[in-house]
Amino acid sequence: MSIITVKSILTDRIYQYVDNGDPKSGTAKNVYFSPDRKYVVAIFKEKQDFNQKERLTRIVTRYLDQIQSKEAGDYYLNEIYRWPTDLIETRDRIGIIVPIYNSKFFFAKGYSSSDLIKGEEKNGKWFAGAKFRNKLFPLSLDQTELGRWLNYFQIGINLSRGVKKMHQMGLSHSDLSYNNVLIDPSSGSACMIDLDGLVVPGLFQAEVIGTADFIAPEVLATKHLNKTDPSRKLPNRLTDLHALACLIYMYLLHRHPLKGGKVHDLDTEKDDLLSMGEKALFIEHPADLSNRPKMNQISKWDTYWADVNKIPYTITGPYLKALFDKAFIDGLHNPMQRPTAEEWEIALLKTTDLMQQCSNIYCDQKWYVFDNTTIPKCPFCGTSHQGTLPVLDLYYQFQPTVWRPENHRLMVYNNQYLFQWHVNRNVIRNERLTAEQKIPVGYFTFHEGKWVFVNQTLTSMVDKTEDKEVPVNTMVELTDGKKLLLSKEDGGRVILVTLANK
Amino acid sequence: MRRLPVYFLIDTSGSMYGEPIQALNNALSGMVNTLRADAQALDSLWISMITFDREVKEIVPLTELPSFQLPEITCPQSGPTHTGHALEMLYEKVKLDIIRGSSTQKGDWKPLMFLFTDGKPSDLQLYREMLPKIKSLNFGAIVCCAAGHLANDSLLKELTPDVVHLDTADSATLKQFFKWVSETIEQGNKSQGTGESVTLPPPPSEITLII
Repeated sequence: MSIITVKSILTDRIYQYVDNGDPKSGTAKNVYFSPDRKYVVAIFKEKQDFNQKERLTRIVTRYLDQIQSKEAGDYYLNEIYRWPTDLIETRDRIGIIVPIYNSKFFFAKGYSSSDLIKGEEKNGKWFAGAKFRNKLFPLSLDQTELGRWLNYFQIGINLSRGVKKMHQMGLSHSDLSYNNVLIDPSSGSACMIDLDGLVVPGLFQAEVIGTADFIAPEVLATKHLNKTDPSRKLPNRLTDLHALACLIYMYLLHRHPLKGGKVHDLDTEKDDLLSMGEKALFIEHPADLSNRPKMNQISKWDTYWADVNKIPYTITGPYLKALFDKAFIDGLHNPMQRPTAEEWEIALLKTTDLMQQCSNIYCDQKWYVFDNTTIPKCPFCGTSHQGTLPVLDLYYQFQPTVWRPENHRLMVYNNQYLFQWHVNRNVIRNERLTAEQKIPVGYFTFHEGKWVFVNQTLTSMVDKTEDKEVPVNTMVELTDGKKLLLSKEDGGRVILVTLANK
Repeated sequence: MRRLPVYFLIDTSGSMYGEPIQALNNALSGMVNTLRADAQALDSLWISMITFDREVKEIVPLTELPSFQLPEITCPQSGPTHTGHALEMLYEKVKLDIIRGSSTQKGDWKPLMFLFTDGKPSDLQLYREMLPKIKSLNFGAIVCCAAGHLANDSLLKELTPDVVHLDTADSATLKQFFKWVSETIEQGNKSQGTGESVTLPPPPSEITLII
């Protein structure tokens, strides 16, 4: 074991790593830890040519600076990305300096029955599939590792933001897959890793076509063509959007959106290429049922999540249903139709406002999306909601006397908070919110048999039904048909209360 | 849904007796543990093991990895190496085990086969008769591992161009080899290049790959 000192080729910074002769070995790089374990030195196995060096240099200089200097830089660099920070050379190989992964991205327990993967990275694959959640599976993950359904929405939000930011900078990931994303369901975190492969369109070409399960249909369908053929499709921003949609679908529903029962060719390789490429078809296509999963051909460990009749994608709520339709029906073979990362972010955020806690303490998912019915029940365990359920619809002022619906609904549950982004349409709920904007303005609670809202900080709130002010530190009862103006400021919203499950 | 069947053919002839068989058991259990810590492998991998000496035994029929229990492999103190006979059993098993694609059923991935031997086939005639039959099964990859100076590389090369020669069958070398085997099995899960076919990953530098 020896400590090796290396020098940056861009600055005069010095780095060190411990060489124990057995580095962590990835596809393209050997990874060594620094003595203080604050960063890793990842050294390429192959010699990198001029273009590669140029591309890596831009990643660790220009693009890193862009993220650092813009809003929410800390959020992106500490939470969402493990962004390479410098380039080094040792002998004739080059390497990158990457900050170490946060400890939450390593299994604290792993399998419930053994320590085999304890301390290993939480590769996204563990949480995308269904088997590892099945308690009867011999190698199921411990319950403490799995998180709740709501956490997978947070993971999707973080991932969408990561992709959104790259696309805003003109970059595309080109190999987005569960291998390149670490996730921690218990905290709802996601972290994109292996970012040294980023593609700058028109400047640096994609080196890889992606990872099976996430390669866009047009890329697979033109894989046989030469790279110089103008019809050949290589990874780009739009193929990232296919991969992102697949990831979100898999994290929420633990099955693949395109892997159904339809057979296109008797040869396995050809069949796979067609069913993920040229002939790809959404397993839940509403009109074409031919690719529905065949339940008798599903691994017995996967059957719960594989059953699209029992757990249809519509349980993810109206906003996400619309985006899944765009991604896997309209946009599957028409890349321009695919939802952008920001659309996913917004839809996921809005959906979390529709979520309810399941009253069954044994329910594995704990949360579900309100299904817009008058008698809501949990789609996972079938438990009906007990008691009344206030539904708040948000309206914005279109003209002085005309209020229009926002297509944004907020479901109330006991001890739920209300935030600035509900009150005022000029406050956008995203990673750029200030600390002050993240402080709740009030909360909902079920108090002495009534649903009430307790106003903590809203200074110009008015009960329009009763036509009286709701001062700070007072409460107002939520009754069917009640209209509440949350703020008189520009952008202030009105909420309309509906009591469901009466 | 699709399974990736992997067959291991393991030489348990007399020459393996003693340290080599211990080292092999150790390396196999390391490999199984590596695979059992791989989410992708746990999703699709099915494993079968056949041992051959004078007798040929299917010691584990094709079993999904999560339920796979590795038995202790033992060998007699002396006896011939019936490689041909082992291929014959493999041929019958593969024909029965593999789910072929049909209009209503997705087929398995092409099976992989790893043959480990430290000698040369004693039943050479049967071995040669089996070669075309094995090739007709259309394996995704056939890799032979020849360990020690008695192993005959040229005969194995009649079966597959991918022959790895290990100079010794000691624990460290075998471990390296089976680490490479698991990497080969896990290959489909990695990022795919913009080039065409998927090839075997480069073998570890300590061993010789004859191609």
